[in-house]
Amino acid sequence: MTTVLDRESLVQDQQPQRPWRKRPVQLDASIAIATLVPAAIVAGIFATTDIPGAVVLLVVYLPLQLVAAAIAALVTRGRRGVADSFLIVSAIGATIFSFIILISLIGSLIVRGIEALWGPEGFRSSFLFQNNVYINPSTPLEYGGLGHAILGTLIIVGISTLIAVPIGIATAVYITEVRGRAVPYVRFFVQSMSGIPSIVAGLFILTVLIVSGAIGQSAFAGGLAYAILMLPTVARTAEEVLRLIPDDLRTGALALGSTRARVVLRVVLPAAKTGIVTAIILGIARVIGETAPLLLTSLKSDQTVLNPFNSPIAALPTYIFDNVALPYPGAVARAWGAALVLMLLVLILFTIARIIGRDRVGRRS
Amino acid sequence: MSLAEPKQRDLHSAATSHRGDRIFNRTVTALAFTALVVLAGIAIFLGYSAVDALRTQGLDFLFTTEWTIGEDPKAGIAGMLYGSVLLALIGLVIAIPASLLLSTFIVFMAPKRLANLMTNVVDLMAAIPSIIIGLWAFYILTPPAEEWQSLLNQYLGWIPLFQNSSGNFNGTPFIAGLVLAIMMIPIITSVSREVLGRTPPDLINAAEALGCSRWTMLRMVAFPYGRGGIVGGIMLGLGRALGETIAIFFVLKLVFEINWYHIIESGGGSVATLIVASFGEVSGPYELNLLLAAGFFLFLGTLIVNMIANLIVNRSGKMQR
Repeated sequence: MTTVLDRESLVQDQQPQRPWRKRPVQLDASIAIATLVPAAIVAGIFATTDIPGAVVLLVVYLPLQLVAAAIAALVTRGRRGVADSFLIVSAIGATIFSFIILISLIGSLIVRGIEALWGPEGFRSSFLFQNNVYINPSTPLEYGGLGHAILGTLIIVGISTLIAVPIGIATAVYITEVRGRAVPYVRFFVQSMSGIPSIVAGLFILTVLIVSGAIGQSAFAGGLAYAILMLPTVARTAEEVLRLIPDDLRTGALALGSTRARVVLRVVLPAAKTGIVTAIILGIARVIGETAPLLLTSLKSDQTVLNPFNSPIAALPTYIFDNVALPYPGAVARAWGAALVLMLLVLILFTIARIIGRDRVGRRS
Repeated sequence: MSLAEPKQRDLHSAATSHRGDRIFNRTVTALAFTALVVLAGIAIFLGYSAVDALRTQGLDFLFTTEWTIGEDPKAGIAGMLYGSVLLALIGLVIAIPASLLLSTFIVFMAPKRLANLMTNVVDLMAAIPSIIIGLWAFYILTPPAEEWQSLLNQYLGWIPLFQNSSGNFNGTPFIAGLVLAIMMIPIITSVSREVLGRTPPDLINAAEALGCSRWTMLRMVAFPYGRGGIVGGIMLGLGRALGETIAIFFVLKLVFEINWYHIIESGGGSVATLIVASFGEVSGPYELNLLLAAGFFLFLGTLIVNMIANLIVNRSGKMQR
């Protein structure tokens, strides 16, 4: 009997919880205190000592904030709230951490890259259009530029696009349209291929085509190495896009009497046009900054090279690579400038792919 | 007289009735096997060099650390192989908690707009070329990181991991691992974000209705549900870390000796970086062959890691559908 009584009194003791109630002032107040106090302490440390900021944030602020949040949770929600408070604080911490890294990356690119692109006389178009002939590392930044490297990157990426896009789309068509017996294997190989390190792609082209003497180190060799890296991206994105095309289109075209090849070439691929463009752009964005394969396959050049077959050629990533290694501030400024240009290219491609992708999703819904 | 049953035509199987279709099918099928051809080609051509290196150097190629190319060439990449693993481990130790927290924040905590923004930020981070990360790490990250390491050594130097006898904090495995973590976080985050986002809302609601706190819900529902995908994402990040070349080139002082665990002591190894660093001053066909052999083992390692990762991710994806 006593146990029953105990339980009843226990039930009566418990306050009914009403989660739909307005947030209690107590909760807001404890959150405010729990955020302001650690911040104030850390601000004090910043003001009075000169310990590096990152160390203060990681060694003082984060533990302090964790403890403060735990106390606040303990007061308002009891013991069960403590784990939640740790989770929330560290998740926000990880988010801020990644924001700091991205802002530092982009910020330093802009601040340091602008030096080469923007002089006292204004925007230096020469930096974008001139080449590197007659330029040594101590030449003032007004002379010379990375025009040859931009052109080289365009040629190499163009060659790799010409090779990788048809093969990538054919792979996607095989998986979604032809649907042969080997589909699971093909998908698996494409996935495995996407994990090939870029340096290995360069080594492969080097040993198969260059060491054997078939072709020299040139834009074509670089383009082939890029194509190896680009193919899986194009194939996988295109596959996803083709999957979205409704089967009605295919069966409709077949019912009208068209052959299978025509169904794919005249109906399915045109219907997936924007998606295919996205796949191509993502493929280009994947390779455009790759450095390691070019160091082995296309080397470098100071001149503007148009012949893709028998001469080493410059590209943006290798231009950055060469200039960083030089112990001259001018050369380093050129490297940052080139990095800014490269990042802008990646950003533009990324944004275009996003906008096209959003349009597609918007139209479907 | 009964009506003849109409035969069902299989509209999806490869038709062979039309000549144009046959050509089209064969062309597409042949092109679809390019991936296999490339993989096999890499295995064969680099494997040939590897066999050559193993024949002349024996197993010393994998288990010693000397690299003298001359009259009697001795080559061993043990330091590089171990270094690659060590750097990847340091990167994983930082990247796994950071990415899991980040994806938890995106999926379960952030308001929708912030979540979209974070998704884009993470994808953008994945798209930053490694040369730019290397440039940033060399000029922006290294100076403060040296200071952090010296503080670490000052206060935690009694732990063997943080010993540094030279006083030189440049080019350490710690900085290189940090850079690798920055490159792994977007990959692991985007995979685990997708997997966590696919947790059935019913399960989450049920857990919350039972009075689970957010942490309990994650521990009992979301993480067990997405475990396969998360592990696969981590393996994908590992694959990228093992193959990373250029970013490491800028921040790691390459030495052939094995740096077992002194992660804030200058000097470490990385197979991929060895290839780029040595290629510029390669002394002749024999050394080039050794580099190709090193490339083969790099290829083998990343291929195995990636295949396992893809198997795990695919399987968990099927289970959830």
